Order: sequence, then C-alpha cells, then structure tokens
Amino acid sequence: MDCGSVRALINRFIDGELGYVETAEFQQHLDFCPDCSEELRELCELRGALAAWSGVRLAPPPGFADRVMAAVQRQPQPGSPRPLGEVVDGALARVDEVLGRVRLPHGRTIPVKNLLGWALAVVALVIGLGRRRGRDATQARTP
Amino acid sequence: MAPSNHQNWRLPPDPSRADLARAAAGDREAFRTIVERYGTMVYSVAYNVLGSHADAEDAAQDAFLRCYRSLPQYRSEASFSTWLFRLALTTAVDARRREGRQPEPVEMPEIVDQREASIGDHVDAATIVRALGDLPEDYRTPTVLRDLYGLPYQEIADLTGRPLGTVKVMVHRGRAALRLRLRAAGVRPAARANTAGVGHATDAVAGHEGGEA
Repeated sequence: MDCGSVRALINRFIDGELGYVETAEFQQHLDFCPDCSEELRELCELRGALAAWSGVRLAPPPGFADRVMAAVQRQPQPGSPRPLGEVVDGALARVDEVLGRVRLPHGRTIPVKNLLGWALAVVALVIGLGRRRGRDATQARTP
Repeated sequence: MAPSNHQNWRLPPDPSRADLARAAAGDREAFRTIVERYGTMVYSVAYNVLGSHADAEDAAQDAFLRCYRSLPQYRSEASFSTWLFRLALTTAVDARRREGRQPEPVEMPEIVDQREASIGDHVDAATIVRALGDLPEDYRTPTVLRDLYGLPYQEIADLTGRPLGTVKVMVHRGRAALRLRLRAAGVRPAARANTAGVGHATDAVAGHEGGEA
C-alpha cells in the first residue's frame, strides 16, 4: 500500500469498516510511514477530544427555565384534544412509522408515505383531467 | 436509539414514575422540575448541533415543548434521560434542516464545571469550540452527530435527509477540516498516542431503544 491508498482508508479504519486483510496492510504501512502515522494520531486525538467535549455540560442562558415554563403555560394540557394540524401531523408520523422508508440509489431514503402521496396526486390529476375532457366533449356535442 | 456518547454524561437520576405521571397529566410544577434537572443536557446538545446561543435556546425550548406534549406517550422501555436526549438531538437537527445557518462569529458557551473543560492532553475546550464553529454547516451537523454523539452513519442519513454516501463524505471532510484547524492552533499529539482499537471506537453504538417522540 502507498500513502495515497492508506490516506483513503484512514476514515474507514477509524470507523471500523476495514476487513481483516485491509487492516493488516494498513497497519503494515503505518509501521514504517511516519507521515501517515501522524495523520492517524491527529485524527484519533481529535475524535477523543470531540467525544470528551460531548460530555461537557454547557449552561443555558439565565432565565431559561422560566421562559420554557412560560411557553408551556400557552400549551394545551397534555392529552387534551389537540388542534387539527397536530392531529394530522401525528397521524402522518404514525403512517411513517408503519410504512417505513424506501431506499433509493446512492443510499438516499424517502418515506413510503411520500411515494403514496405522490401516486395519489397523480391519480387525482388523471381523474380530474379525464372528467374535464368528458365534460368538454359533452358540451361540444350539445347544440 | 441511544447515541453511545451520551454515556459521557453524568446524567441526573430519572424522575420518579410518580413525578413523570404528574407531569404527563399536566402538572406544570412537576414539569418544571424536569426542565430544571435536564435543562443543561438539552441545551448542551442543541448548542453542539447548532453552534449559536440563540438557535440553541430556541431548539432547547422546542425540545421541552415536544417533551411536554409527548409525555403521555412516553413508555419506560428506554430511560427517561435517554429518551429526552434523543428528543433534544432530533429537535436540534430538525431546526438546522428547517432554518439553515448564517455564518456567525463563534460564541463561546459557558461551561457549568470548569474541571470538565480539560478534554484532552493537548486540546482545550476553546480550541474545539472555535474549530467546530469554523466548520461549514454541511460538515458540522454530520460530524457532530457522528463523532460527538456516536450515531451510526445510516441514522445520520435518515435524520438529515441526505444520502448515506454523502453523509460519510461530509464526516470525512469535517474531520479533515477539524484536524487542520487543530494543527493551526498548535495541537500536535505526542507520537506515543495510542490508536489501538480505534477502528471499533464507535461500533459500540447502542441498539434501538424506541421511545422517540
């Protein structure tokens, strides 16, 4: 392995995505390459610092709890009848959970619900256009 | 699911079932106890994802409102703190997707306990905050989700609505950019730094625990 190949693999190594053979070749290269070793060390130091930073507690601004509670006061009681918009949002979220997502090429995923929505929109459009054409034809035949 | 690095938190104990039940029934004093107990955790997550005090406060408040509304649906399969942590993370990412981010000067957060500010042998908190603050937004959110909170790439793709391959590229570029910023700040780890086992550092991500609001 040369340095270019190793650098292309460093992130996959860090993420534990390399197979046994690749890992062995990767580490063999590191044994004699100070530049690649240093890059790996720096990335490890970085990730260690980021993981440690994730555990550092940051203080919310003064009065934060009061402002949250003032906003809570404006909320309906939990469990009380919800506004129609929220009911619809909740129902759509539940549909999402049940139907799941479909994977597209290149790894992108979209909710199945969205596909169904688009299909329904196309069907409604086709029906609407068909009915309009039928009406136009009827009017054209009427003297 | 439970982000693995949330174990870095010294989490406050979960509220008692009775307190949660009172809050779920609309007892605002009981809910205030939750806000006071978890405000720091929720705000910290929001700040790390969003990188500005104003955005973080809005997102943290939104997370508590979602919590208030969703409490009747909370089931105790996951611990309450794990459930709320996940809710805070999702709310902050949603805010980023909804509103984007304008470049702003880096705002240093106030650290609750300065003894926690020493986060590495060679890196201090201010250097990390500045380096994260300088990251382009496309890199920041995936990198924070991956390397601060240990989310699997597929989870990040689902949360951010980006293709899996794109997310990986963004994280790799984010790491490279952060490494260069740390270098520019004079951070050079000693040659003895141990990298053994790093390839499996984030594979310990906990499985799905459900309970997401």
